[in-house]
Amino acid sequence: MARDVLNIVVTGVGGQGQITLARVIAEAALLNGVNAIVAETHGLSQRGGTVIVHVRLGNADAPLIPPGAADALLSMELIEAARYSYYLAEGSIAVVNDYLVPPPLPGVKIPEPSELVSMVKTRASKLVMVPATQEALERGDVRVANMILLGAAIEAGALGDYVDLEVAEKAIENVLGKAAKPNIAALHRGAELARTKQ
Amino acid sequence: MAHREVLSPPGKRVIMLGNVAIARGFLEAGLQFAAAYPGTPSTEIVEALSTASRVLGGKPYVEWSVNEKVALEAALGAAIAGARAIAAMKHVGLNVAADPFFSSAYLGVDGALVVVSADDPWMWSSQNEQDNRWYGLHAYVAVIEPTGPQDAKEAARLALTYSEKYKRPFILRTTTRIAHTRVPVDTGGIPLDKLEPRGEFHKDPARWTLVPQYARRKRLELLDYWDKVSEELASFPLNSIEGGGDVAVVGVGLGYRYAREAVRVLGAEDMVTLYKVATSVPFPRPLAEKILSHDTVLVVEEGDPVAETQLKAMAQEASAKTKIYGKRGEPLLPRYGELGLDKVVRALAKVTGKEAPKWALEPPESLEDKLPPRPPVLCPGCPYRGFFYALRRAVNKLRLKPVYSGDIGCYSLGVLPPFYVQDTIIEMGGSIGAGNGFAHVLRGDNDIAIAIIGDSTFFHSGITPLLNAVYNNAPLLVIVLDNHTTAMTGHQPHPGTGIRATGEPGRAMSIESVARGVGVEKILVADPFDVKDSEAKLLEALRYVKENKKPAVLVAKGACILVALRTAYRMGVKPVAYRVNLDKCTGCGICYTVFNCPAIHRRSDKKAEIDPALCTGCGVCAQICPFNAFEPVAEPNPEWFKIMRTAKPE
Repeated sequence: MARDVLNIVVTGVGGQGQITLARVIAEAALLNGVNAIVAETHGLSQRGGTVIVHVRLGNADAPLIPPGAADALLSMELIEAARYSYYLAEGSIAVVNDYLVPPPLPGVKIPEPSELVSMVKTRASKLVMVPATQEALERGDVRVANMILLGAAIEAGALGDYVDLEVAEKAIENVLGKAAKPNIAALHRGAELARTKQ
Repeated sequence: MAHREVLSPPGKRVIMLGNVAIARGFLEAGLQFAAAYPGTPSTEIVEALSTASRVLGGKPYVEWSVNEKVALEAALGAAIAGARAIAAMKHVGLNVAADPFFSSAYLGVDGALVVVSADDPWMWSSQNEQDNRWYGLHAYVAVIEPTGPQDAKEAARLALTYSEKYKRPFILRTTTRIAHTRVPVDTGGIPLDKLEPRGEFHKDPARWTLVPQYARRKRLELLDYWDKVSEELASFPLNSIEGGGDVAVVGVGLGYRYAREAVRVLGAEDMVTLYKVATSVPFPRPLAEKILSHDTVLVVEEGDPVAETQLKAMAQEASAKTKIYGKRGEPLLPRYGELGLDKVVRALAKVTGKEAPKWALEPPESLEDKLPPRPPVLCPGCPYRGFFYALRRAVNKLRLKPVYSGDIGCYSLGVLPPFYVQDTIIEMGGSIGAGNGFAHVLRGDNDIAIAIIGDSTFFHSGITPLLNAVYNNAPLLVIVLDNHTTAMTGHQPHPGTGIRATGEPGRAMSIESVARGVGVEKILVADPFDVKDSEAKLLEALRYVKENKKPAVLVAKGACILVALRTAYRMGVKPVAYRVNLDKCTGCGICYTVFNCPAIHRRSDKKAEIDPALCTGCGVCAQICPFNAFEPVAEPNPEWFKIMRTAKPE
């Protein structure tokens, strides 16, 4: 796609905070004077179902990213990372929470994490795995896992020049208000985790 | 309060959801009255307006109505009395409200009336794909469409302004990707002095009553209006013409955004004239004349070929030789689902001869069939899970052959394994309505019709079919799953909660007393978080219906776990999670197959384990395990068990 657009696909399981993650990215872009379009999944799909949020930064008009044209994939869950990896373009980055939620359908076969990782790798040129949920549970609040993933994504360069940690902090304050503090701490922890991985 | 950004100061650029931008647009136009029944993807419009009303001291007046018909009638009444009013609903809501909608076209208004129809192509959260612009053509009501979330605010503002100017109802039609897409929005001023919900009614039976002698005259007036507005909408401020190429691309509504980006992707700026159209019904005649002066036209619109069909009709009337492409005839765009940039790029490449990029020509294939599906499911801790478990046990114990007449709400998810307790799903209230039919024709000894409906859906359209069941003596068990909220759409209150849209207390209506009021003689209440209690009440109700051949109502009362968790968090009550005692677990699998809580996973040795990130501490697993293998990680908090049963939205 055109060089003046950054396409980011944010995925996971309903309830893991994909919409908030995407909102923070959009807010951060706007603080930097960059246009943002975020197409969300609401309603029925949010009940533990698969979720995809399309985030487009820069000179974009249409709300949806076409398959094969995403520059980055941020996934809160392994199966969902694999499911939407076909959205990725050549030379793209995937930042994935090292966390698997088996779909609660009786008798369904759950793929091995290694299979899922290799599915993502066939599309992404760079893959960064982050134990975001595990880290969030250790911090006592599973809800901050999305900000850990965001910190890692920024550190890994998945958001290009559009968003850095400093502006992301401000965006978290704007979007989350009173709940910002633990989320900002989680953001930095995510960046740190990605740094030590690289 | 949700969506506070709706009241951002003027002159700012703020990121807003399309629906919130629409709410803002209405406020900027001086909205005085708003009514809605929640439904995806329309809900956030009136949610945001209710926040505005709370902050602004009851300006404008905002209500959650019991259903879309009442919402539209209420808005129409306010508009007849001179107020600027809106009614918002999802596409199928307009089916419910169709009766007053058609009349509103004949009557007109003294203030303004905009009916928001939020369509849901590809049925992300709906039972069908329905393009409500046809309603505009059918009823002679003009349709405004935002050309993307980018101008949703302006489209809403202008729709209300135009309705006030013409004294006629307008439809504001959106689709999912307008409603649920967030973009930066430039705020204008809100005329606070105009928002007060105050009207005045001028008696004039010739104007406000549709008896035949007046209705006939109104029919003729309506046709005159239609001809006039077909001309005048050409100059609607959101319509424009960009570029000067030979090929006409007509971007209707959201279609404009895809068309505009597709032109850029293909570098076809010199070849294309892009018509941006926000007024799809009636398609403005002067604009059509310009479009038909091109030899080749591509119409890009989301939903059915509504603009395309009108253009083709006008081309025929004008004997134009224009070749018009879209979704009819030789379709260049698919006739189902949502638009996509790849689809529009391919269509535009065909009519311009430009070369499309690889992602549009050969889109990578979906990986869906290589992975386990992940449909939406009942949440961990959902009261319906334990109740469905008890329901299946009770039915099996009595060796009954049930037909589960299902309905629209979270419990629709009971269609999936292992529950299979939704044999039919039709529309809001259809469970009891169709249940009447099942009850009269399923006459086998073990047959029984069981209608399953939620609390909000019951108030929406379950009461009249229940009355019908009593009147016609249908042997039907009606189960009302009462989680004290409209859960699926994001926890709006309803008449059962005793809370109104603006947070003020209202009178809480009990489902039992409504059932008693319409004449039901057997009414039971069960605790869905108590599997034994649910099973006992179900056995009693099922036996009553079989033995007495009369309807019975069973109300299962337990809070939506998401509301309960939020309430607990606010009150500082921490739910205690459960874990599996692996010495006791035998790997029988009842918990992760028959009960099927998403927080319980199957280990490779078949034993169960609980994901602490998902467990809500509802404790129902401890009731269903035959080996007592589930235990709380600490002493459970009785406060939490109380909140779980009673929590309501704020």
